[in-house]
Amino acid sequence: MEGILFPRGVAEGKESLKEYRARGGYGALEMALRELSPARVLQEVIDSGLRGRGGAGFPTGRKWAFTAESAEQPHYLVLNGGEDEPGSKKDRLLMENLPHLVLEGVILAAYAVRASRAYLYINANYKNAIQNMTGALQEAGKAGYWGERVLGCDFSLELPIAPAPPDYVAGEDTAALEVIEKKDPLPRQKPPYPATAGLFGKPTAVNNVETLANVPLIIARGAKWYRSIGTRESPGTMIFSLGEEVKRPGIYELAFGTPLRFLIEECGGGTRDDKPIKAVLPGGPSSAFLPPEKIDLPLDHDSLRAAGSSIGCGVVRLITAGSCVVEETLRIAEFFAAESCGQCPACRMETNILATMLKKVQQGQGGAPILEQFQKVIEFNKGKGFCNLVNMPGPPIESALKLFRSDFEFHLANGRCPEA
Amino acid sequence: MKRLCLVCQNVDCKNRGSEEIMNELERRVAEKGLADLEVRPYMCFGACQEGPNIVLYPEKSWYAGVKKEDLDDILSHISGGQEVKMLDTIDSSLKELIYQLLDTGVF
Repeated sequence: MEGILFPRGVAEGKESLKEYRARGGYGALEMALRELSPARVLQEVIDSGLRGRGGAGFPTGRKWAFTAESAEQPHYLVLNGGEDEPGSKKDRLLMENLPHLVLEGVILAAYAVRASRAYLYINANYKNAIQNMTGALQEAGKAGYWGERVLGCDFSLELPIAPAPPDYVAGEDTAALEVIEKKDPLPRQKPPYPATAGLFGKPTAVNNVETLANVPLIIARGAKWYRSIGTRESPGTMIFSLGEEVKRPGIYELAFGTPLRFLIEECGGGTRDDKPIKAVLPGGPSSAFLPPEKIDLPLDHDSLRAAGSSIGCGVVRLITAGSCVVEETLRIAEFFAAESCGQCPACRMETNILATMLKKVQQGQGGAPILEQFQKVIEFNKGKGFCNLVNMPGPPIESALKLFRSDFEFHLANGRCPEA
Repeated sequence: MKRLCLVCQNVDCKNRGSEEIMNELERRVAEKGLADLEVRPYMCFGACQEGPNIVLYPEKSWYAGVKKEDLDDILSHISGGQEVKMLDTIDSSLKELIYQLLDTGVF
């Protein structure tokens, strides 16, 4: 199928206001302000079944309803472009090449949750994204799409840009709020959730860039059309990122429910040098490894969850023959140890101990019972952090140990990889 | 292998002065000439509410909530005296987890 965010393939170069309008851009906003109440826009998004694309997959409309219905004033919206997931460039590409689509989504979302200010929180390393979003803001402002009395209606909106520190944890929604409040990027304890007590203690909807880019399409063409794409529980499309393990690395927009095999073989052109696949990490470093037999699994939230993994933000990594699962698992554990903000002792303990343990295994140190200890350390720390990072190192390690136990045993006994 | 006196240096223990305690221990161990013992920082024992935490290994003695005043008793144990039972307030399942990790060489 054709993409809906990228109807003519992955966009190349920045789309101007003129080009965006020529394909109907801002039509959804004009129509909504003319004909729909904020509640009606919210209802359409609820009906569409849109789910967050930042990793958790929470229903967007339900999240918005908490903010929209809160009596506290003012309400805020945050576009979360703090993307810093290894291998993920989808939000960057959307902001760089389709800034007006993203902006129209932000403005519609702000209208739906009755926000008077929406912060564009963007990874500070994404210079082009910040530049293109700034340019789009100027163009759209001149055209009257934001500012005082948008398109002459009783709706005003400010749109400041807030640079995000280029740290993994800074992309966490409450860490984003801290940064916007000019504090360090440290996640807050939840509850309270940002939807009811977020920025400056006020109701705040925090949404991923890709999530909001879907909103103009839903409002323009309706929830029913949106639900005709994807699956019942995961409507619409998702942008997947493929790395150097395939012949054609890049990002691909596919309807939810498309088989994993299609992404790898048709989009990615198969593995480099046609190496056999040993395992798939379908949803970034915090997802569980899947064995190659699962290659026909549909890519959607429920199918991946049923298979014991998760879709995350769509970064699909492959472990091919010749690559070592132990080394890969160690790299992931070291990533989380480095990215843990250190605020919660349990997270610091867990991420450091797991990385240390894996290093021991990789180097052939430590006794055989060490393999039995991983599960215990993970269980001991589960849920003991302000944010979800404490739960992230577990799935890849547990699944790797289950699927490739003999590789771990070989490393432990010989201090080297069975593939070497 | 040397005996180890592991002193937790995670956030909570550190906030309660575990770095000072570690330095003081190191100084006094050197003073006493205990050549078979090494004082070493440890990343975390997971008993953050009860820190500063110290574990002696391979003896497997756990000292929690250690204050400078306790160091005389702990040093006397290290040098062959009685274990300071009063300072062992840790849940047995956590002790088992940490001791197993130490047994498998996770330092």
